[in-house]
Amino acid sequence: MTDLEFLKLSGPAKTAWKIGNFFRLLPGRIGAGCRKLGLGIVRLFRSLGLNLKDLVDTFVHGDWKTKLSYLVMGFGSAARGQWGRGLLFFLFQTVFNFYMIHFGVAYLGKLNTLGTIETYKEGRRTVYGDNSFFILLYGVLTLFFVLAFIYTWRVNIKQNRISEEILKSGRKLKSTKEDLKSLADEQFHKTLLALPTLGVTVFTILPILFMILVAFTNFDATHQPPSKLFTWVGWDNFRQLLSSDTASYGNTFKQVLFWTLVWAFFATFLNYFLGMLVAIMINKKGIKLKKVWRTILVMTIAIPQFVSLLYVSKMFAADGLINSYLMKWGWISQPIPFWTNAGWARFTIILINLWIGIPYLMLIATGILMNIPADLYESARIDGANAFQMYRKITLPYMLFVTGPYLLSSFTGNINNFNVIYLLSGGRPLSLELSGNAGYTDLLITWLYKMTVTDTNYKLAAVMGILVFVVSAVINLIVYNMIPSVKNEEDFQ
Amino acid sequence: MRKILALVLAAAMLLSMTAVASADYSGDLKIWVAEAVVDFTKQAVEDFKAAHPEYAGMTVAVEPVGEGDAASNMITDVEAGADLFVFAQDQLARLVAAGALEEVEPSNAERVAAENDAGSVGAVTLGGKMYAYPMTSDNGYFLYYDKSVVTDPTDLDAILADCEKAGKSFYMEINSGWYQTAFFFGAGCELTYDTDDTGALVGCNASYASENGVKALKTMIKLAKSPAFVNGSSFSTATNVGAIVDGTWDANAAMEAFGENYAACKLPMADGYQLGGFGGFKMLGVKPQTDDDKLAACDALAAFLSSEETQIARYNAVQWGPSNLNAQKLEAIQQNPALAALADQLQYTVPQGQYPGEYWSLATGLGDDILADKLDDADDAKLMEVLTNFQDTAISYANK
Repeated sequence: MTDLEFLKLSGPAKTAWKIGNFFRLLPGRIGAGCRKLGLGIVRLFRSLGLNLKDLVDTFVHGDWKTKLSYLVMGFGSAARGQWGRGLLFFLFQTVFNFYMIHFGVAYLGKLNTLGTIETYKEGRRTVYGDNSFFILLYGVLTLFFVLAFIYTWRVNIKQNRISEEILKSGRKLKSTKEDLKSLADEQFHKTLLALPTLGVTVFTILPILFMILVAFTNFDATHQPPSKLFTWVGWDNFRQLLSSDTASYGNTFKQVLFWTLVWAFFATFLNYFLGMLVAIMINKKGIKLKKVWRTILVMTIAIPQFVSLLYVSKMFAADGLINSYLMKWGWISQPIPFWTNAGWARFTIILINLWIGIPYLMLIATGILMNIPADLYESARIDGANAFQMYRKITLPYMLFVTGPYLLSSFTGNINNFNVIYLLSGGRPLSLELSGNAGYTDLLITWLYKMTVTDTNYKLAAVMGILVFVVSAVINLIVYNMIPSVKNEEDFQ
Repeated sequence: MRKILALVLAAAMLLSMTAVASADYSGDLKIWVAEAVVDFTKQAVEDFKAAHPEYAGMTVAVEPVGEGDAASNMITDVEAGADLFVFAQDQLARLVAAGALEEVEPSNAERVAAENDAGSVGAVTLGGKMYAYPMTSDNGYFLYYDKSVVTDPTDLDAILADCEKAGKSFYMEINSGWYQTAFFFGAGCELTYDTDDTGALVGCNASYASENGVKALKTMIKLAKSPAFVNGSSFSTATNVGAIVDGTWDANAAMEAFGENYAACKLPMADGYQLGGFGGFKMLGVKPQTDDDKLAACDALAAFLSSEETQIARYNAVQWGPSNLNAQKLEAIQQNPALAALADQLQYTVPQGQYPGEYWSLATGLGDDILADKLDDADDAKLMEVLTNFQDTAISYANK
């Protein structure tokens, strides 16, 4: 379709065409992504091959110092006068060897079974056997260490080759002093990033990998270290969570995922538009006591959420303030089932969330609204636009442009909005139609919490964690490429 | 190297031998008890040290961890858990299965079996092995009511009518697997699990899918429809109580709220049957120890904390009903209104055995369905289908 044809379409037809276009382009995009992934893998193997070839070449053409460095790391560097580098390499190798002999090998060896020695009794004394938890944790840590070692070993070889080349061309190698100086100068980025990289690896990447691996074990209440062993079970946990036979959680998972998305949608967009509306109303010329209205709204932010949410949850209970008064005034004869009926509970949660969310949006929107050039409105008014038209053509595009990334992150945040759900309803009501302790208002994240804390079902919780990530990632990637702030970067500059 | 090792080993052996001989222990020990009895337990530990000078050097930390949390925390991390901890008997199988409970020392086990009531002894035993020390026989529920509101506490319909008339509420937590059994067991249904000595569930005896089950379910549906009914069992968060099905732990709150109209009695009749339920117990468990001396210290302290004297002292301090037979004969205990009501109710209850964790959420599911009015216009066939479904799921937990 050409631009001209597109412009001729009516409003709804334009939207329909855009949505259709998105799905038309989707297979192509997925294909492109897969191709990129394939190319990446090919490139990875090619670079591995090149590295191997380089290793062999260096060995064949290198001098004896280089050759010995294949066994004793840092020998070449030290022998060529770079004492600092040589010592560091050698130190690393020594630590690595020591670690591997005393801990690493034992853990790595048991990683395939996660331990075989059961806990037993000696008289009345308990003697603990293998601890699957530590085997998995330290096994993974050791794998990281081995990778780090291989990398460092490779760097050590490369250094030898480079040094040889430099010496051959008649230049001088850097002394240890110069090395140290360069760490504060042209190599300063390495100095700065060393600690954060190590921290991220140990405290973020390692735990994430550990949790992913737990998803493939039977780690739960009846396989609890140190008394009991757990072991690998392959894809069993995924099957249990996703397939829909009677003993599995498939149907419950669908239900919870559906509500998670519905909730995230309403919690994000209702808050967004109503918050903006409130901000526009307060911003309007002629409204008196602007500061008072804003202060009143901001008060809800000042009270800690868990206090206000627990309190409001009690207010809506069957014997709470709201039902008691409605009954006293004779408006209802039975308490309204705010928390016991699935539909009511979902509605109430969204409603209460508005009360918490609108003030934030109002604050954000107020700032942005004040930034929209007044002359845009003025000329629109001269052209005869009414208030709604001005909102649709000026305010909304401007707001969407500025707050697009915010909207996206708040959508993701709402998918994982643990506080509001857990404090208000705790995921209830449950039902015989749902399994696995999940309720009608449970989000994936609160269900995950129940699995971990209440049911000690770590294996399914780990699977759930992976799925939550997949859901968030897919939505984020798609929406991110669609928001105006990314697509039409230049529009409002 | 080998020589040194041999020397160290020999020294360790010698040390452990002398230790067995005198059995003293002066390291650390951690106890988890409910907040309400922390001070009491601290005092009891001091009394224990006075009575057993060989343990006087021991450092005992008493930490407030509720009975429900204690079990969960122990299962989550046995090694970081307390050496002695109090829990309710429905957690026993879980704790044994997770390897968080040591068997009761044989000579203590004999004494425990002889001195405590049969229900509590049964509750600490799994497949013939005793895993914990009974402390109380008061973990059950009965009716607290306001004498000025409820005129006839023996009939459920009358109670509801009275509450409605006075604008008060009748509280019962029918979406809890614990309170729910009042109806099902009362109407003559059965739901128990068989366990082996490792805490694994090996069988399930269930008769919910029966005429009696339908009768019980109908009572619950009718109750949920009453305008006076509120789902809940915690006196401290209830706002408008005319009558409440609750346990001894809320006796003080009830006494305070009702004042001179405070009364307690067994559960009422409903639709021609007496409401039943669970009779329960609190017990003290010992964590498996890797050190013989520490284990001996734990055994001795656990025996002391569950003894007749300590149970009586605990009643005097916080009114927890004892499981010890001699303590139960005390006049003060027999005349306590809440404990008397509980004793009266206990004849209609089933000692609570072991239930899988999934049972509690299954029962909450059933209760929530009733509260959400999903079963309001179901006929008998539909109710039977619901109960069959419930029963099949409950049985499936045992065959895993």
